Amino acid sequence: MEKSFIIYLSFIVFSVFSFSCSRERYIDAPGNLVPKTVDQDSTLSSISINGALLHSEAFGPEDSTLIICIHGGPGGDYRYMLNCKTLATKGYRVVLYDQRGAGLSQRFPKNWYLSQGNDAMNKIFYDELKGIIAHYKTSATQKIILLGQSWGAMLATAYTGKYPNEIDGLIVAEPGGLKWDDVIDYISESRSFKLWGETLNDATYIDQFMTGKEDQHEILDYKAGLIGSVNAIVGDVGADLGNNAPSYVASRSGAVVNAASYELGQDIKPDFSAGIDNFFTKTLFIYSSNNKAYPESWAEKISSAYPNKEIFKAQGVGHSGMLDQVDFWTTTMEPKIISYIQSL
Amino acid sequence: MKKIAIKSIIIIVAFSFFKNEVYAQVINWENISKQNMHLLHIDVGAEYGAIAGVGYHHLIPVKRFPLWIGGEFSVPFGNQLADDFKMRLGTQIRIVALNHFQFSARVQGIARRYHNQSVRLFNFGSDLAGTIGYYRKKWSISVESGFDKAIVTNFKHSEWYKKNIYDNVQDGWYEPATGGNFYYGLQGGFSMKKIDITLKAGKVLQQDFKSQPLLPFYGQVGANFRF
Repeated sequence: MEKSFIIYLSFIVFSVFSFSCSRERYIDAPGNLVPKTVDQDSTLSSISINGALLHSEAFGPEDSTLIICIHGGPGGDYRYMLNCKTLATKGYRVVLYDQRGAGLSQRFPKNWYLSQGNDAMNKIFYDELKGIIAHYKTSATQKIILLGQSWGAMLATAYTGKYPNEIDGLIVAEPGGLKWDDVIDYISESRSFKLWGETLNDATYIDQFMTGKEDQHEILDYKAGLIGSVNAIVGDVGADLGNNAPSYVASRSGAVVNAASYELGQDIKPDFSAGIDNFFTKTLFIYSSNNKAYPESWAEKISSAYPNKEIFKAQGVGHSGMLDQVDFWTTTMEPKIISYIQSL
Repeated sequence: MKKIAIKSIIIIVAFSFFKNEVYAQVINWENISKQNMHLLHIDVGAEYGAIAGVGYHHLIPVKRFPLWIGGEFSVPFGNQLADDFKMRLGTQIRIVALNHFQFSARVQGIARRYHNQSVRLFNFGSDLAGTIGYYRKKWSISVESGFDKAIVTNFKHSEWYKKNIYDNVQDGWYEPATGGNFYYGLQGGFSMKKIDITLKAGKVLQQDFKSQPLLPFYGQVGANFRF
């Protein structure tokens, strides 16, 4: 009996350790599991803003009305907004950028974000957007339109409230909330996965396969991407960019900036609607029919912060679908946005 | 709720037929005897998600160091049965017995699978744990501490991931170790004639001792059937 036990134990030990002879491939090496960022890959288009190298592109005539596209997250990227670049063929200057620490932009340690303290929203997000506008603006009379989705819509609203005289038009698509309590309510609602459901277990079960320290960005970004890739509650089905897709597929979730932003938010409890009551230009407020966490009542509540607005319900799409579904974009959203800009 | 119950029953029944893939975790060392050398275990609980598991262990009555060898199999709840699972094979040995106080160690090899829309992971790992406790015929209480290491992992990404997230992602075996978690907690149980009702609960910390997994605790309610 004892002999068979020794054989059995040897088999287990051999099974566990026998794989240490193969070629090493690291989960935290740049480019293995998540794409390289602009500071790691010089072939990516980038600009330098406030000490950070940002992934950014611009399309269309330089001197025409500037449309700044602001992605969701915090920690998302602009790839799903690339359908917006067709506005360049209609005579507009379209700017896309990945925020600091997000997408293919340069990463920063978590402590850097947290060390910004009570001025964090200015230093991390608002000053960066100011820098983006300054970088692409060619004259004092050039009109500026902000187009933000989800977190990007919250950021666009906060920036417009802070600088109401510098913005000529505001398009917001499903800002989760503008007061911090509303932000938390929306996050809870949009991620209220069933305790026994596949989605929640997919999010938690992976923690025994991969673990990453606070600033092991590649590991944390990869895991965040896996968790964020599917969310049936908000009605997203994956981006369809048609011919607007770039030649490469490279999307990254900025896990560190995302985690740091929520921690800062809990501390600061920012009010993204501050000052927006001084912006009297019409705001185009968009929400979708397929986002179960964003019913009409929520759209009415959140949009009530804007003194002058037009509310538009995007039928048949989800949280990002008004921008990331090429058919809907071409037939509905782009004409609506052009009509809005022309009405200003 | 109905869905949960049906799935639990399917899992337990299905794996009860595989004698190499059953479960034994919380053992009352005071209750072992040569008349009861087999231990069948079922449980439900939380361990990186809501899970259900079964197990089987066989007693090898080495004089001063009795040990159980066997295995356990668990799956998380969800819509897709067995797209994720964990299988552990190994041994649990009593090292020290002093009156009713006993110290035991557990060494297990792990094979586990994870699958979602983006990727299929297959991992080989190890689980090493020590338990010290107070054991009586009718009940026991102990503390355990252990380390679960994900030693080597194979990644295979879906076409969806390559089309939507990253087209140049590198598939294959990744090492050195891709992860590791420490855990510590309390466990105990009540023993009847041939059955032990067992409970365990504790905390999970990542190997940097700072970060936590998304589900930073574990818990389990189980039953041992001795025969």
